[in-house]
Amino acid sequence: MTKPVPAPPRAPRRRPRGGAWARYARALRTPRGITATVLLLVLVALALLAPVLWPGGYDEQTRDALAPPSAEHWLGTDEFGRDILTRTIYGLRTDLSLILTAVPVSLVIGTLLGLSGYLSSWFGSLMQRVLDIILGFPGLILGIIIVLVIGPGWTALFFAIVIAGLPGFGRLARGGLLSEQQREYVLAARTLGVNKSTVMVRHILPNVVDPLLVQASIYMVVAIFIEAGLSIVGLGINPPKPSLGAMLNVGARYVETLPSYVLGPGAVLLLLALAFTLLSDALNQAATRR
Amino acid sequence: MTIHSQEAYQPVPDSEDSSVLLDVRGLRTQFDTADGVVRAVNDVTFAVRPGQILGIVGESGSGKSVTARSILRMVRPPGRTTAGEVVYRGQDLLALSEKEMRELRGREIAMVFQDPQSALNPVMTVGDQIAEALIVHGVNKNKARERARELLGQVGIPDVDRRLDDYPHQFSGGMRQRVVIAVALASSPSLLIADEPTTALDVTIQAQILGLLGKLRDELGIAVIMITHDMGVVAEMCDEVVVMYGGRVMEHGPVEVIFEHPELPYTADLLAAMPRIDEHSAGRRLPSIPGAPPDPAHLPTGCPFHPRCRLSESICEQEVPALLPRSDPRHLAACHVTQRGVEIPPLVPAAASAGARRGRDSAPLLEITDLRVDVAADRRGLLRRPEPIYAVDRVSLTVSSGETLGLVGESGCGKSTLARAIVGINHPASGTIRVGDHLVGSKEQAGAKALRETVQYVFQDPYASLNPRRTIRQSLEEALAVRGVPAAERATEAVALLERVGLHERHLDRYPYAFSGGQRQRVGIARALAARPKLLVCDEPVSALDVSIQAQIINLLESLRDEFNLGYLFIAHDLSVVRHLSDRVAVMYLGAFVEYGDAEAVYNSPQHPYTAALLASSPIPDTAERTRERIVLGGDLPSPKNPPSGCRFRTRCPIGPLAHPERTICIEQPPPLAPTSTGQVAACHFAGELARVGAVV
Amino acid sequence: MIRYLIRRLPSIVLVLVATSVIAFLLPRLVPGDPAAAVAGPDASPQTIAAIRTQLGLDKPLINQYFHWIGGVFTGDLGQSLQFQRPVSELIGDRLGSTVQLALLAAIFLVIFGIGLGILAGSARSRWARTLVEGTNTGFLAAPPFLVGLLLILLFGVAIRILPTSGEVSVLDNPNFGFQYLLLPALALALPMSAGVARLVQTSMQAIRQEDFVDLAVAKGVPPWRINIRHILRNSLGPAVVAIGIRFGDLLAGAVVIEAIFARNGLGQLAVSGAQSNDYPVMQVLVVGAVFIAVVAQLLTEITLSALDPRVRLG
Repeated sequence: MTKPVPAPPRAPRRRPRGGAWARYARALRTPRGITATVLLLVLVALALLAPVLWPGGYDEQTRDALAPPSAEHWLGTDEFGRDILTRTIYGLRTDLSLILTAVPVSLVIGTLLGLSGYLSSWFGSLMQRVLDIILGFPGLILGIIIVLVIGPGWTALFFAIVIAGLPGFGRLARGGLLSEQQREYVLAARTLGVNKSTVMVRHILPNVVDPLLVQASIYMVVAIFIEAGLSIVGLGINPPKPSLGAMLNVGARYVETLPSYVLGPGAVLLLLALAFTLLSDALNQAATRR
Repeated sequence: MTIHSQEAYQPVPDSEDSSVLLDVRGLRTQFDTADGVVRAVNDVTFAVRPGQILGIVGESGSGKSVTARSILRMVRPPGRTTAGEVVYRGQDLLALSEKEMRELRGREIAMVFQDPQSALNPVMTVGDQIAEALIVHGVNKNKARERARELLGQVGIPDVDRRLDDYPHQFSGGMRQRVVIAVALASSPSLLIADEPTTALDVTIQAQILGLLGKLRDELGIAVIMITHDMGVVAEMCDEVVVMYGGRVMEHGPVEVIFEHPELPYTADLLAAMPRIDEHSAGRRLPSIPGAPPDPAHLPTGCPFHPRCRLSESICEQEVPALLPRSDPRHLAACHVTQRGVEIPPLVPAAASAGARRGRDSAPLLEITDLRVDVAADRRGLLRRPEPIYAVDRVSLTVSSGETLGLVGESGCGKSTLARAIVGINHPASGTIRVGDHLVGSKEQAGAKALRETVQYVFQDPYASLNPRRTIRQSLEEALAVRGVPAAERATEAVALLERVGLHERHLDRYPYAFSGGQRQRVGIARALAARPKLLVCDEPVSALDVSIQAQIINLLESLRDEFNLGYLFIAHDLSVVRHLSDRVAVMYLGAFVEYGDAEAVYNSPQHPYTAALLASSPIPDTAERTRERIVLGGDLPSPKNPPSGCRFRTRCPIGPLAHPERTICIEQPPPLAPTSTGQVAACHFAGELARVGAVV
Repeated sequence: MIRYLIRRLPSIVLVLVATSVIAFLLPRLVPGDPAAAVAGPDASPQTIAAIRTQLGLDKPLINQYFHWIGGVFTGDLGQSLQFQRPVSELIGDRLGSTVQLALLAAIFLVIFGIGLGILAGSARSRWARTLVEGTNTGFLAAPPFLVGLLLILLFGVAIRILPTSGEVSVLDNPNFGFQYLLLPALALALPMSAGVARLVQTSMQAIRQEDFVDLAVAKGVPPWRINIRHILRNSLGPAVVAIGIRFGDLLAGAVVIEAIFARNGLGQLAVSGAQSNDYPVMQVLVVGAVFIAVVAQLLTEITLSALDPRVRLG
């Protein structure tokens, strides 16, 4: 412990205005933040409005199988004659419904597990070991096993995404806990007599939230990959319901004859992933700039 | 580990050596931030002669560090030097190309940084880092290594051959700073810029490093620019001093002249507001300077000091005062008022508040008996318990209401561990802590509640003790809520608390980042008071604050103590502050008390050699004291994992077995805390031998 | 170092044992009767029962577990349910393919990850940095299989210079083998190296602010030397950790890549084993994968301690 020094201002610091919400709002005003927000809004809007814009549904089979792009079918048709564009948008809808529910659930549970160490340190260590084992499991195999146990479909993917995300969030939360625990304002609150759970919610949690949110947006991207990966090996969403990954799986067979089959869902997938990556960058900048 | 007298320093007479080594004229450096232009260095002018030690002294925001970096053109963007000349041996450094500048750096002008912890590359050996300084200037590898070996010896590192290939983390703080100095000296530069070189070090280590710098100046003749905020260091080391405030040079001249007769109100007040280790000032308030040093982004118009200046007049707000010579032509000052010949009246302390100190109650508030705290207990391995490390090893003390017990020691002595054990943050391994009628550490609810109603804690770092995401109101109301104050009353009580510590209701709804260090510390004190404690444990409450603000906070603490008849356990490493506040003093070393007794007795006649060394090492802001006898302790604090046998202090003791080999009793028997002739207790077999040398009267 | 390994042994063993138990139990949780699957859709109940006994599936779980564990130590990894061949044979056939892919991908990972990171971390001009960062973000957002598909389109279809399906072992024919490996390994490595590059970049940028870099500047050290000896050298630690973590992901990603590029590797075995709930194959593959992850972790820690003298093993 070295002697403390009066902190001289190195380069004058920016004075941030206001609390947490203001910080995030400012993060979203950066170029990355704006791009990400716009992209996301467009994609979500498309997904929500799909039944309105494409009222026919995704299963309308025609005789015109594997047709190249035309005025009627902008991306062509698939092997059952279904419009690829329609199926792409509905696939986007499926994917979004999956990740926008599973990732927050994983975030909340993972954070609770990680922070549990504050209230009971042996439980926290136990949780850490459990999470480590999950982490050590090869990701895709874990997913496959979960899918097989529950049976393929949306529910299995949901659980796969939730469980696969727990170690990441749990470790981050626990790491944040360990460093926040020693901070003087936390010790001050304890000395004043504030009880442990209140301290955790009021003092520790808000300071741990930032990296967790960044991790959540990164994990959105990973969740997309999990869905796509499982679909590629045939264990994803049940047909005929489309998902981006399943379409890529089938489309890969036709990549040389009908590239639009892959390009359509692939581009949407890429945009979705890009949006979340940019969002995570923007949030990261907000978090690290005090 | 030597006792020696420093011979009276002979300043280089001007007539003999008129060549100036470095001439800084009209230097301006600014930072272009989104919030506007910040003028960190504003029209700074001074000169350095060969073999001279020039001190640049100032508080935070004064621009002293930026000035140093500007000289070497190492200002980080968005900062840039916009005007002025920096003439080194006839060449203007600001006009050189980057390549030419690089050749100059290290070879002609070298820099020593403040924090030895982070100043060295952790993955390169010490020898390589010193050699690198030579290799980049064209010296061949083997010769560079030889020189590195030579330098390590010159800066006083023992066992050079082995240490040459060690990594920085294997050295202690003081040793690391010596390595940094060795790196700086590698190419035999003519000018050394030392930016707060000892600020992060303990007092006894600081004495070693300052001694080293002085020796190097004498032997090698290098000039030194010493940047510091400590007037004591200036008095001890420097020939000339430059006082900076708000980015400007406000006063400049030979050290004796300035200390004896400052022509700047700021300098005069600063010297008056410092608690003095050699003065008996307990019982009186400290003179203090109101307000805080200005933020470089929002400097006042005209003279930067005028908002805080007692002598301020309307012209001070309108016009920046020019730096003009005074009666002694070498003495320059920038003040409209004193330029006219007006004398600076002595700074008088504010009157003590009405309630004088009540007498002590008989029953002690805090009673610690034979306490041991094990800091290794938390790092539990999977299978076995690690060896205990006792940061606090058998300590006993008492504090009653209305009295202040000062606890001094250097870093690593265990004083913070002790303080945290009292409030229940660390858990005792053995021994008892009794607060009022309750034992700390007992699990019962009543005990915990009674504890926090009796003892509260004021933390050291004002920048870390408040949650940055909660407003002041929220932090205070949290404390009040725990005490059981109903919600309706909390707002009024919070305002009352703030006003009692010198803040205002409008501060309630702001976040901590908007406040200065001193103000945050006031909030921390208000929060501690919210629980209506009877005893306050203050852990270095003023160490992280600027000198001109320290007096304010000390006065605040004193008036609170008198008004509420509080007991204080006051922990600090600054002996002058402790002397001012304390009734009794305990000196701690490696987890145990080595001396304990009335403050006056300890300071006037230190019985333990460590106390004597501490007192003798603390720099005194008085140039007459330069010639006093010093006790410079060698070596470093031993590791608490493996304390020396017998007396723990014997490995550094100036009167122990290292100096007197026949004193084997120090190796065999740990000395008990025994009463001494002057009234206090001390743990030394040869108590009192250094009393005369270490005494500060 | 030996002492360090010995100290780590208990927790490693613990993890492996726990994993083996989980790997053993999980497939058995999946609904469905493997004996029936093996017997075929038209088999009679007696046939199914006979097959169940033959496969040892009627013994209590505990016995089955220890039988399997015992077999592992003697080299008998069990018999695949769907292929009716020894698991060790199945793995042995495919091991080479996956190992080659993983190794080359790992090499690419290190080269691209650190290389891109250095570029981004030391780029001076703004637009150069934006360019590198943009490329990085692009790779980050693209899943390996998408990159794989794109690469097939680019180099296999549009500009026909590399084969896009099938494989030739490098050991048999280095030239051709490498050609077949190139695209799959790139597809696998590029997205992950983006993450590593990002880490190296932020690491370098953070270290640039450190005091000892200032000291080096004050000594007169030229910028290139500062970048390499001072900044980069200190940034490698986090990069090594990041690479170590991703090594496990390499194997997972290999599954999909093998599918796209029609390679016959362990990944395919894993997928078909999972789809047909082939217990013996799944058990061995899961434990094997975790074992590799553990070894990767150990290697990471050892490398880290070699890079950073402050890190002492254990």
